[in-house]
Amino acid sequence: MKKLKDAKKIKVLGITVKPKNKFYWFEGVTKKGVEALLNDENSKFAWLRPQRNRRALVLLMAFGLVLVSLGSYWPTLKTDLNLSDGTSVVVYSVTAMFVILAVLGGYSLLRISVRSIADAPDELLDERQIQVRNTSIRYAYYAMGYVVLALLSLTFFGPELKLFQAEGNDGSYLMIATLFAYASMPSMVMAWRERDI
Amino acid sequence: MLFPMSRNPEEPVYNRIEEARVALGLSRQDLADKAGVHYQTIGYLEREEYSPSLVLAIRIAKSLNQEVSELFSLTPFKKGK
Repeated sequence: MKKLKDAKKIKVLGITVKPKNKFYWFEGVTKKGVEALLNDENSKFAWLRPQRNRRALVLLMAFGLVLVSLGSYWPTLKTDLNLSDGTSVVVYSVTAMFVILAVLGGYSLLRISVRSIADAPDELLDERQIQVRNTSIRYAYYAMGYVVLALLSLTFFGPELKLFQAEGNDGSYLMIATLFAYASMPSMVMAWRERDI
Repeated sequence: MLFPMSRNPEEPVYNRIEEARVALGLSRQDLADKAGVHYQTIGYLEREEYSPSLVLAIRIAKSLNQEVSELFSLTPFKKGK
């Protein structure tokens, strides 16, 4: 049974059947994806493994999250560019799109840098990896408390800051930033803390 | 400190995994495959940065043809023994 499960291709009544790649909906990972990262099948991501590079990625991700969370204030950010209304909307939209795509890319790289251990289910990990994942999730839970506090503070005090105006702020970027932070926090904690991944 | 770096604050478990593995001519990957863990977990164990569960200790001892008591100890092993 195990051999059938592990086989790459199975021939049944002359028809070649490829076993399905199990998708873990709750964790958002695939079995093959996690196994490939755990077994170093793709060496092009090896540069992400050193702790220094992982920490640099965490800092970039945190910076990206701050930029996204401030996105709600971008249209009213006081600049000396003197752009017309139409131009500023285009500049704002394109910039926002690129920042969100960059954060999405950073999120993907972050998951790869920790071999998806922070998101993998128990059955794909060994006991040390499970312990490391659980510890990371515990610290991520605490860290998310600070993130939510910071974002709530921004909601309340942002308009009071002289740099911003409340006009046109629907808070959608705060929500996007919170979702990104929530999804990436365990990987960020793991990437920062672990010496070897 | 928000993120303490200490991996194993409790009593460390000393072991002779590396010695036994090298004596058998096994790589970390070979032993990891036999014990059903990731190769880096073997590295953590050999550096005594991670204390294994009893099940894993038994599996490793079996993979190295040794008794658990020969391989693991709560006191440091004497060199050359």
